[in-house]
Amino acid sequence: MNFNASRNVGHSGPRKAKRVSDVSAMGSPSPAPAFSPSPGFGGGFPPAGPPPPYQQGIPMDAIPNFGPQDPSNNFGYPANFTQSPMAPPSQIGSMLQQPVVQDMALQYGNQLAAQGREVVQRELGKYVPVSRLRYYFAVDTRYVLKKLLLIVFPFTHKEWMMKYDQETPVQPRYDINAPDLYIPSMGYVTYVLLAGFMLGLQHRFSPEQISIQASSALAYIIFEMVLYIATLYITNTNTALKTLDLLAYSGYKYTTMICSLLAGLTLGGTVYYCALLYCSAALSYFLVKTLRLQILSGGPTAPDTSYNYSTYNPSNPYTDTWAKPSSGGGTKRRVYFLLFVAITQPLLSWWLTYHLIPPSVVLQAR
Amino acid sequence: MITLWNLFEASLLCLNAVCVLHEERFMQKMGWGTNTQQQGFEDQSTIKFQILNLVRSIRTVTRIPLIILNILTIIFKLLLG
Repeated sequence: MNFNASRNVGHSGPRKAKRVSDVSAMGSPSPAPAFSPSPGFGGGFPPAGPPPPYQQGIPMDAIPNFGPQDPSNNFGYPANFTQSPMAPPSQIGSMLQQPVVQDMALQYGNQLAAQGREVVQRELGKYVPVSRLRYYFAVDTRYVLKKLLLIVFPFTHKEWMMKYDQETPVQPRYDINAPDLYIPSMGYVTYVLLAGFMLGLQHRFSPEQISIQASSALAYIIFEMVLYIATLYITNTNTALKTLDLLAYSGYKYTTMICSLLAGLTLGGTVYYCALLYCSAALSYFLVKTLRLQILSGGPTAPDTSYNYSTYNPSNPYTDTWAKPSSGGGTKRRVYFLLFVAITQPLLSWWLTYHLIPPSVVLQAR
Repeated sequence: MITLWNLFEASLLCLNAVCVLHEERFMQKMGWGTNTQQQGFEDQSTIKFQILNLVRSIRTVTRIPLIILNILTIIFKLLLG
């Protein structure tokens, strides 16, 4: 009879103890991994329960080859205790094909994806106001057509006031005077494509040019926005304009750029300059008329030193704030800012397009 | 033709320039020190006050990220020329 001092000596055949090795050299046995592979698995992983410490020394004289071992080694010696806790790659490969493992991996992956999506949405919501963005893209075809016509020919439009719906502006599809971001973004994409087309006509094109033009236009947008916001901050003018509104208004110049580019494309260099002049004048007129109501009507939060008593209805331009003596930044500063915007827009639209015009070449002359 | 990379470089250089302005040695000599301007709370709307406020806040906020950005840009330019 064998006298076994250990309590949990296994009595299955292959685990018969051959010798007692130096268990203290092994350290404490690490617990088995979380999953339990199916019994037919010959991966040499540790069994579901921790093996008796008495028998850890066994695989020391077993050959440490970790190929698919014979089924007698099914309950597996903790062969990897002498090595790193991770099994070598071949065993991982054969492990990954088991359906149980695949299910668990799929589930884990789904969980990770859901978590990641939630984190991304949360972080994005902190920097980009997604619900505000949705307002700017609520347009329909009629609005887009009328707005484009308005940008090109604003001289006959009479009613420039934006409609409000209890202090929030109405969606652009119901009010032609409301700013939107659809036209600027479409204009940006069209500008990039048109620039590539015109460069191609002059044999100056390569695929890198598209990305150069796109990133250049984007850099100018960013630079312009920073300039406007810095100017508004430094001159301490409180306006009812939000950042996205500014972005929308500065994106309308893409319409003028495209118009003048098309004119210059089909009819030559001089027509380009004429079209640029006319479209810039129209755009400036449009911007002045639209922004005058928003910039000159005072800020959303009137400061304490102002004499404005209608602080409970701040962003509504219906309250008469014209006669206020230099409060909230001064009317003069706002007028200057308005002029600044109205002048830089044509300048930028010229700067972004003049290098694309072929030098005094008419299409039919080719 | 400015690209996004040029814009990034230019803004990095500008931020560095703003952060390098020393408070004691330079700003106070020029009369732009921020410790003497707190007396007048009435003139908070002047352009000078706004600009100096902006400079001070840029300095406080971007001092540490600027170190990291500068190191990254230097490594990048060393590797790619």
